[in-house]
Parts: sequence; structure tokens; C-alpha cells
Amino acid sequence: MVTETSDVVIRDARPEEVDAIAGLALRLKRLNGEFDPMFQVRVDAEEKLREYLSEAIESPERVVLVAVAGGKVVGMVKADLVDRLFYVPKTKGEIVEFYVLPEFRRKRLGEELMEQIIKRLNKEGADIIAAEFPALNQIAVSFYEKQGFRGLVYIYAKTL
Amino acid sequence: MKKQKMETERFGKLAVDYSLFYAGKVEVNPKVPVRDLSDFSIWYTPGVASVSRIIAENEDLSFRYTGRWNTIAVVSDGSRVLGLGDIGPAASMPVMEGKALIYKYLGGVNAVPLPIDAHKPEEIVDMVKKLEPAFGGINLEDIASPKCFYVLDKCREEMQIPVWHDDQQGTAGVTLAGLINALTFTGRKLRGTKILLFGAGAANIATVPVLVAAGADYGDLILVDSKGILHPEREDIDELLLRHPLKYELALKTNKERRKGGSKEAFEDVDVVIGASKPGPGVWKPEWIRSMAEDSIVFALANPVPEMWPEEAKEAGARITATGRSDFANQVNNSLLFPAMFRGVLNVRARTISDKMAVMAAMEIARFAEERGLKEDYIIPTMEEWEFYPRVAAVVAEEAVKEGLARVKMTKDEAYQKSVEIIQKARQTLDLHCREKLILPPPE
Repeated sequence: MVTETSDVVIRDARPEEVDAIAGLALRLKRLNGEFDPMFQVRVDAEEKLREYLSEAIESPERVVLVAVAGGKVVGMVKADLVDRLFYVPKTKGEIVEFYVLPEFRRKRLGEELMEQIIKRLNKEGADIIAAEFPALNQIAVSFYEKQGFRGLVYIYAKTL
Repeated sequence: MKKQKMETERFGKLAVDYSLFYAGKVEVNPKVPVRDLSDFSIWYTPGVASVSRIIAENEDLSFRYTGRWNTIAVVSDGSRVLGLGDIGPAASMPVMEGKALIYKYLGGVNAVPLPIDAHKPEEIVDMVKKLEPAFGGINLEDIASPKCFYVLDKCREEMQIPVWHDDQQGTAGVTLAGLINALTFTGRKLRGTKILLFGAGAANIATVPVLVAAGADYGDLILVDSKGILHPEREDIDELLLRHPLKYELALKTNKERRKGGSKEAFEDVDVVIGASKPGPGVWKPEWIRSMAEDSIVFALANPVPEMWPEEAKEAGARITATGRSDFANQVNNSLLFPAMFRGVLNVRARTISDKMAVMAAMEIARFAEERGLKEDYIIPTMEEWEFYPRVAAVVAEEAVKEGLARVKMTKDEAYQKSVEIIQKARQTLDLHCREKLILPPPE
């Protein structure tokens, strides 16, 4: 499924795009580290991201969408389809990676990517959508609240 | 070049010796007569109570009954003093005193040097806000980037007296003044000229909007910081989003060709370089200057030593050079602007200082030099040509009135006359003190 916002196309990620997508995901991880020192990025993060995203692109339980402008990947979103063991609705779509290059922000591209992935997750059986991001990422908090999300699970942590 | 290095050292030694000798560059002097003991009953208790009563009814009257109308504070936390960095408030005092001296001598403005022991941006803002009843304006000075942007914006928002960060707005204004004439001299227009802003601290970040207000295109401006050219795909762009939102915005708005790389790539083919970065010499390589467009304009404004000696820049092909120092041609120094800016602003009791006021001031400074005839080594007036200060003050006052920012209305000519009067008096007073040996000549 393909949608367009002026000259940007949103579609499923292709295996040959994994390097570009990993590059964006690495920026995301670094941004998380800026919000919260508990998310300091590992030295081998980029390599790990490539493996992780390759697997996701192939897997039926995962969805990876990209936004492409002028032949270049400028945004990405990755979600997992998960079955909740004890609760209903049973099938949850979990958005776990989401990033748009600065040059393409403030153009509703984020909202479009969100719309597309939610539609897809719903089509694949998800009746509840969750988004996971660092608690200290205020930008993400505002973004999701605006789309009608609210807090679901708290994970409290401390380093030893 | 060795000669300049020696000169810098010589000035340093003189400064140390003289500062010890004079122990202070400015002082408070009475400006009312004390004829006999009973005068104290007028200036102080019981007479003064009546004045306080009047002001208690209407705070604005403090501008008329006291010296507040012509007094500003020069405030610093010492976190980025000249090119010396974070040396703290006490060590910033000599610089603040120097600033106060220039404010009085060239602008007739009473300035109180005020280093403060507040360092968190909110603390500085809080402290400055609480000073409002005492002053007609505030000059923020030598406060590190990026906190200085927050401090300036917050103070401007929440105070009713003008707040000016000279390292930002002053540098931007004089840079524009010098640039206007340098462009004219080399047959260029501001729009369409490629300008490299080398250094992305308070000065150059503030220079961008002033250049744009004067007609430049964001896209033709390229910024370089310690990590290289600023562009939206730089690795640290999201770090900037959080830690330095102004730089983030500029990364998106400037450099429309999306040039990438370091200093070498940044200099290629640009018409102008404005350096407001770390002190040199040797910060710039001659081959970078050589790679600029023909008839290039090189402003090496770092203090106390420019990024590159102007001689070297000329040897490498620069047509017009400028530095921040008075011992070289074309001194682009804030001292050409801030005394006149506050003279104008205080005359009309402006609420704030707008970008447009800075642009108008810059244009007047440029006009003055143009009237005297532009040369390669004369594109901007010198501090000795004191006659332009009242002219700039008048232009600032007029613009403030035009923008509805002035609490006291006066015509441009009235503002000019008032400025001449006040500045002349300040100069005459100093001359008198020196003649009467109330101020001694410096030690041999």
C-alpha cells in the first residue's frame, strides 16, 4: 500500500533499503540518548540495528514502513504484532521505532506514517495499538497524546 | 605578524600596570550642587521623602525625578568573557568597567558594571528582572551561548525596560554596518551574496536574523561551528534539537545548497566570511581565503586576536579585511554601536530594542563612513569620529517612535540635539578632570 504527501511516498520497506533505515534508526537511538543517559547507545548499535531491521522486514509478525522522497529514505516506522497473554483485546500492535529526518519534519509526515502503520496493524488483526519510547522523551509524549494515546504501562528503572 | 603579537602583549602589560594604578575605570560623581549643609536636607532627609512619595504614587515618574532614565546596568556572569571563556564574574569586572567607560564617553550613558554570581539561566533572568526598578535599560554581556539566547529572550519578554545582549545584537549590528559598505565597495548587493558565518556562537547566530532583516536570504548564508558546516543531516542534528534549538532551526533554514563538510568546503566560492570564533591567529588557512570568490570580504572579528592577521588575508587574495581591533584598519567593534543605541533608546524611553532599530542604526553608521569617502581601509567609521554617535542615536530614537515603542515622543532632530548635548557634556567632563589633574595621566 502506497500513499503520498506531495512528493513523499509511504510504503513497505524493502530488504535493499536496510542500510538507510538502520541509519535513521541509529539517529533515533542517539536522540533517545540525548533525552535520557540511561539510553546511551552501544558502539555496535548500527550493526545490531541492521540485523534487527533485516529480520523485521522479512518477518510476518513485524511491519516496517518507510517514507521515501526523491529516491531517499527520509522516515521510518517499525511495529510488532504481539498477542497479550491475559488480556483483551488480544492482538496488540506495538510501535517501537519511529523517526523522521529533520528536513522532513513539521510537514505532517509523522502523522501520515502513524496513520499508515495503524491501518496496517489493524488489518493484520490488532485491536489495540501501543507505542514504546523513553519516558523522558517529551516530544513523543505530546505527539502520541495528540493522537489520542494515553499511558498504559510504566517501567521504572535505576542503574546499579 | 610578529609585530602584532608584540603589540597585543604590550597592550596587555599596559592594561595590567594602569589598572593597578587607577584601581577602577569609572566612578560615581555627584551631578547636583552641594552649596551648604542645608542642601543635604533637600537631596536627602527630610526633603527627599516628598520625591519618594510622588514616585510611590506612579512608578513611571522615577524616570523623571531620578537618574534612572539615563542609567543602565552592564550585567555578566563571566561565563564567556571575550575569547577567554568561563572566567567567572569577578574576573569579568575589568571588561564590564571598560564597557561602562565607553558607554559614558561615547554615548553619555551612565552604566553600572554589574558582575553577578548567578549562573543557571533562570537564576540570571530572575536577578536581572529584579533590577528593573533601578535602571532604564540592561546590557547583558559575556554570557555563554546557548544560555544567553534564553536569557535575552526571557528578559525582553518579561521586562518593561530595553534589554540588549551586546555580544549578540551589537556584533550583528556593526557587522552589518561594515558589510554594507564592503559590499558597495566591491559592487555587490546583500541579496544573492554568499556569506560564510564562521563560528556559531552568540555573535554569528544573532547576525543571521539581522542580515535577513536587511535583505539577505537565509539560503545564501552558511554557518560553520566546531563540528563543521551546519546542515540538517549532520550527525549531531538531534542533539542540537534538544540542546541548541536556535542552531537546529538555522541548520534547516540556511545553506540552501546543503553544502557539507568542514572549513575547507565552507570557504569555497563564498563572497564574504564573518569570523566570530576562537582567537587566532592561525584559525584560518591562506588556501581557504584563496578559494573564496574574487574581491572577497574577510571580517576576522575574534577577540583579542583575529582568526587571521589582515595582512595574511590580503596576501591570500582578500580585497577588504576587517577585525575587531583598533590597531588595524576597519575596526568592526561593538563600541561603534552600543553607546549610540542606548543613547537613542534612553532618550525616548523605548520599551525594547527591535531588530529593525539595529538595522537602521547599522545603516546610519555605514552612511556616515560613505559620506567621508569609502576606501579599502575605510569602510566603517572609527571610534574617534564621535560625531556619528548622536546621528545613530537619533535614527534609533526615530525608529522607536515609528514602531510605537517609545514612551517619550520626540522628533529625529530633537533626539539628535539631546544626544549631542549629553555626549558633549560627558566628553567635556572627562577633559576637565584630566586638565585639572583630578584624573592623573598614566604612570610612565
